Amino acid sequence: MGRLLAPLFITRHVLIALVVGGVGGVLFMTFLLEFDHYTSSNAFCTTCHSMTYADETYRQTVHYDSASGVRASCGDCHVSEGVFAATWDHAVGSKDLFKQLFGPDYDDPVINALHLPEAAFAARKWFQARDSATCMRCHTLEAIQGKRADTAAIHREETDGKSCIDCHYNLVHRKVPDESTFKREAWNRMVEEEFGLEPGTAERLMSAH
Amino acid sequence: MCAIPVSAPLKFIILCALTLSIAVPAVADKVKLDPSNWGHDAGSACVSCHTKASSGLAQQWQDSAHAAAGVNCMDCHRAERADVDAIEHEGQVIATIVSPKDCGRCHTKEFEEQQGSVHAEAYSIIEERVPALAHNVGGAAMQAASCDQCHGSRVKVRGDGTLDPATWPNSGIGRINPDGSKGSCSSCHGRHRFSKAQAREPEACVRCHSGPDSPDKEIFEASKHGMVYAAHRDEMNLEATEWVAGRDYTAAPTCVTCHMGAAGKLPSTHDVGLRNVWSLNTPVSKRQLLVIFEDGRKMELPSDQPAPRRGTEMARADGTIGIVKAVATPERRRQAMSLVCVECHGKGFTESFMRQFDAVVELYNTKFGEPARTIIAGLYERGLLTPTAFDEPIEFTYWELWHDEGARGRHGASMMSPNHAWWEGMYLVGRNFYARFLPEARAAAGEHADELVEAVLRANGQHEWLDQPDQMSTILGFAPQEAE
Repeated sequence: MGRLLAPLFITRHVLIALVVGGVGGVLFMTFLLEFDHYTSSNAFCTTCHSMTYADETYRQTVHYDSASGVRASCGDCHVSEGVFAATWDHAVGSKDLFKQLFGPDYDDPVINALHLPEAAFAARKWFQARDSATCMRCHTLEAIQGKRADTAAIHREETDGKSCIDCHYNLVHRKVPDESTFKREAWNRMVEEEFGLEPGTAERLMSAH
Repeated sequence: MCAIPVSAPLKFIILCALTLSIAVPAVADKVKLDPSNWGHDAGSACVSCHTKASSGLAQQWQDSAHAAAGVNCMDCHRAERADVDAIEHEGQVIATIVSPKDCGRCHTKEFEEQQGSVHAEAYSIIEERVPALAHNVGGAAMQAASCDQCHGSRVKVRGDGTLDPATWPNSGIGRINPDGSKGSCSSCHGRHRFSKAQAREPEACVRCHSGPDSPDKEIFEASKHGMVYAAHRDEMNLEATEWVAGRDYTAAPTCVTCHMGAAGKLPSTHDVGLRNVWSLNTPVSKRQLLVIFEDGRKMELPSDQPAPRRGTEMARADGTIGIVKAVATPERRRQAMSLVCVECHGKGFTESFMRQFDAVVELYNTKFGEPARTIIAGLYERGLLTPTAFDEPIEFTYWELWHDEGARGRHGASMMSPNHAWWEGMYLVGRNFYARFLPEARAAAGEHADELVEAVLRANGQHEWLDQPDQMSTILGFAPQEAE
């Protein structure tokens, strides 16, 4: 038996390149995983003051505060599973950062509330496009029992062709009507009333940007 | 006929006479709409889920005439996207509130009769006055929990599509709905069964017609009418499709019988105040004209004011302007009510009873209602009372005089409860007037007491017994001679 010889094209340079590339690749993937993990955390999301308003309502819900101690973080629901999909979501999501820096002052609670419906509609579309995939990371349709009688039956018999988000919108964040029946003027009046503003202020603030 | 100048009231009388003489079968109107107008495609999906999610509600509907006729959830709850209170629900655009206007899509006659009735106006009439009592004496929370439960609320739809809990849930009879219609059919017709029999029972009225100002449940139960109803309830034929007094049932009358029901040739009506001559829940009762406007709405007007002519523009309780179409006189309204009575009573009996009732109202008016009002008005005029209501004890006294015992006495006489006419009514009016109201009025008037209080009593002429302090009676347990 002869000696096992490396093929001739494995030169020293190639060997170095493979090692460097391999290690670099591992490091890069690790970076992406860590990056996605970190940027999916509640702590990262709420670094922007504008996101603390979404945080307030979320903290009132069972998705934050469950008896079993399971807690869904921002990213668990709003970032897709898998490193590539997650990276893509973050890349697309960077437009939010751009708007935070150069768009309206979302840190202002009034501006935030006025712009909330469009954000909600976009989020719902995102869930719909993915067939509520992030919900199903934790929830399995067949396993839903519920506390009320017939919750299980409803989920087994009444959900054909439906995605979680079709029924379960307004679950975690401030209530926003479905886009089909949303009335901008009524929303503006509600926000004005809530913050004690003169009627018409909302339109003025909205058109300022 | 048009060439002959006829006054508006006369025209109305002719109109009524014609209506009566046609002898329409006096029953609740059948729905004239073609069944193709109901049976919404999405209805079965609602039922399938709600049978699980809220089975009580779904079962009530299953047991209803609606279900039997194929009318499903969506037929009543469907909404247009642009509707103020439209919401998306499981892929459908719906509204939680089914307003009289919605019911009126099929039940047109009932809707038209109900709109503008004293029931439909129950919130509009009190909207301005409520805060002075409910908010000041109680607190804002009381309005939703009490006043509005009967009178209705002005339902507020918030920008997020929810109904403001300060104004809803509410099924008050004069509720102002998001679509602008007034009232709530489910005030009397319990959801979701909408049973005819249930609405014909006196209990349909009890939720609101009870309490110090209109204890009509207690009055009915204490009357001969209530007595025979209790004994023969099983003979009331309450489930009958047509329910004409004297024909489909004869055992006893209920609230519906006299105030709404068909009797003989008198047609039924969903305008519950149509047959009422008097305003009984006012400081001073007035015989009332019923003004009917071009747009179908109605308004009560004291008959001591000149009857408005056809075509006149008038401001209504909610501030809108209506054009007068016709006016029903108190006499005409009494005639309608009496048509119910004569199904079981003689004409002479009926007329004499009405005379007894009118005499009590007139006694209340002239002996207590009017003088008390004059005295209070004098105190306000002189600045001896502050304009704010209920910040002085006499304002409670005066309020109870007409609103509580005064109304009770008048209601008691109208529906034959001797106890409510006297002990719960006029006896307390008298006690209030002599033992609380007059002493408080004299105290408030101070040096003006003779002018503002005593002069009113002297001019009235019904309080002269007060000037005879030595008329001892055995009523207090002392024989007249014991005093000597």
